[in-house]
Amino acid sequence: MANAIEINDVSKMFKLYHENVQSLKEKVLFFRKRGFEEFWALKDVSVEVEEGETLGVIGANGSGKSTLLKCMTRILYPTKGTIVTNGTIAALLELGAGFQPDLTGRENVYLNASILGFSRREVDRRFDEIVAFAEMERFIDNYVRNYSSGMYIRLGFAVAISVDPDILIIDEVLAVGDEAFQRKCIERIEEIQQAGKTIVFVTHNVDITKEICTKVIMLDQGEVVKEGSPKEVVNYYHMAMETEEPGTEFGNRKIVVKGVALLDQDDKAVMDFYTGQTMKVRVLYECSEPVDDPVFGFSIDDYRGFTAYGTNTKLKGMNLGTLSGEGVVEFEMNSLPMLDGRYLVSVAIHSRDEKTVYHWLDKRFPFDMHSDIDDAGLLYIPTEVTVTPL
Amino acid sequence: MLDRLKDLWAHRELLFNMTKKELKVKYKRSVLGFFWSFMTPLVMLAVFALVFAILAGNGVMQWYVVYIIAGLFPWLFFVNSVTQSVGTVVGNPGLVKKVYFPREILPLAAIGANVFHFALQMLVLFVFLLAIGWHFSIHLLYLPLVFLLEVAFTLGLCMFVSAANVYLRDVQHFVEVATMAWFWLTPIVYLVGQVMNVLGGWFRLYLLNPMTNITELWQFIIYNPHYYAPESYEAGAMQVNYLSFWGITGTAVLSVLLVVFGYWYFVRKERGFAEQI
Repeated sequence: MANAIEINDVSKMFKLYHENVQSLKEKVLFFRKRGFEEFWALKDVSVEVEEGETLGVIGANGSGKSTLLKCMTRILYPTKGTIVTNGTIAALLELGAGFQPDLTGRENVYLNASILGFSRREVDRRFDEIVAFAEMERFIDNYVRNYSSGMYIRLGFAVAISVDPDILIIDEVLAVGDEAFQRKCIERIEEIQQAGKTIVFVTHNVDITKEICTKVIMLDQGEVVKEGSPKEVVNYYHMAMETEEPGTEFGNRKIVVKGVALLDQDDKAVMDFYTGQTMKVRVLYECSEPVDDPVFGFSIDDYRGFTAYGTNTKLKGMNLGTLSGEGVVEFEMNSLPMLDGRYLVSVAIHSRDEKTVYHWLDKRFPFDMHSDIDDAGLLYIPTEVTVTPL
Repeated sequence: MLDRLKDLWAHRELLFNMTKKELKVKYKRSVLGFFWSFMTPLVMLAVFALVFAILAGNGVMQWYVVYIIAGLFPWLFFVNSVTQSVGTVVGNPGLVKKVYFPREILPLAAIGANVFHFALQMLVLFVFLLAIGWHFSIHLLYLPLVFLLEVAFTLGLCMFVSAANVYLRDVQHFVEVATMAWFWLTPIVYLVGQVMNVLGGWFRLYLLNPMTNITELWQFIIYNPHYYAPESYEAGAMQVNYLSFWGITGTAVLSVLLVVFGYWYFVRKERGFAEQI
């Protein structure tokens, strides 16, 4: 298949001037002093996007995602390298860019659409559709200056998304609107995909890329650090993000967690588990003084902070009596139901009434789930399917 | 360059819409709206007519008001186009940084809006002339050509200043000051003959100003000096109008060169616009 976009060794350098020299007087006065630093926002980026593919671009703030998109859309021009595109491009870098507050919604739809490359006749044909999509029927003849930010964005998105280009470039615009509207936007993007269009998509909400992208690249400080299937790259992203902020630790340390191991069925400490596998969380503790009736607990959270499972000795109806010295507590799970992804284990020791925390290690112990099952969702629920034609 | 023109042609509707936006936004929220576009030239005409009617006794030539307006409205088109387009790129960061479109549409839309205003002003002037039973010159048929010449000169200059202003904001302030001085270097409210008398042999230098030649053309085709100031064609008299072959040819050549240069400069500088504003 032909490539819709070819990005060849693209680098982009910005000059960061120490003094923003912009007037003639300053230019003359500071002629010799005028210094700038080179800042490379993109370094030798090469990506190919096939026709009909949906490319996701993820990365932390300042990693160069937006610069890359702006280079694709001819807003910025690369310092080195080339970008070849085949077909018409529409870019949604900002919703409602160019909206005029002193014009009505209707007038702005026409103006905005022509900025995006629509002809008047095309807008005439789709006008009702656009207004219905934005749910703005009642307000379309009001001045945009009176719109709420939600209305502004909905109308901007509705205009933008009705464009019919060969290549659609979207920057971070799905982060707006309520959940229902976001859902609608994703559905519309899926329609565009089914029409065989090429989409490039930048987002902070990396999980959306798993849903709609066929390929994802991750940028870090202007370089492509990972390229591949959405699953692969998104997991890599979460890993990279996590290493930067280890979980917290607190408690009065009357009992200390000396060590935690995640063990497989052979009692081997591993980082990778498979759906259906056994896992044992082994906790080694040490008491600095005898402690009456402590409770040991653990939980498994995913990277979003969503607790997949957790339990403790109190919930299990156990009474540990008075503990002193060292010991081991083991939680054994027979069958892990989670599908792919990264999870974090927390371990806690506290009093029965939970008022005193002896030691709490929050989301400190990561492991990765792997699965050969292609099913969707977080958990694997064994399912039998029968089809009976009647 | 040809690709650029094709791209611009593909975006012609945007140019039209942006021009319309300029016009709409100007009078939005005002009760009288477009009526103001008529008011300004009307009031100008009325005030000038009144002033020169009072001064008429002091040897002012007849219909001096028409003489002034014939040069003033085209001048206003020129100066408004330049002062408004110089800030168009810098003044639209939301668009320039976020959307691709041929950037020349920004200054072009400012010129477009002024073309519209100029047409209204001319309409007012011609209604006035018809009302007073004006003797039109046959040379009025040259109006489209004269206008084209002025548009070409304006266009080239607007392209250049709007792109240069992105890199050096002084351009905007310079344009303001320069056009004010330029106004008095152009024979709009005074007669070209007065300059001739003062400058003598240096008068050729005065003709290097393209706006002088363009203004003389406007006054020639609208004021009709052959009819209204025949004495100026007598030997030794103060000349009301002066058409210089070389001045006009030079202005035409310069205007074409300026359009090509201005556009070339704009396109060359355009790549850095999004970074600079």
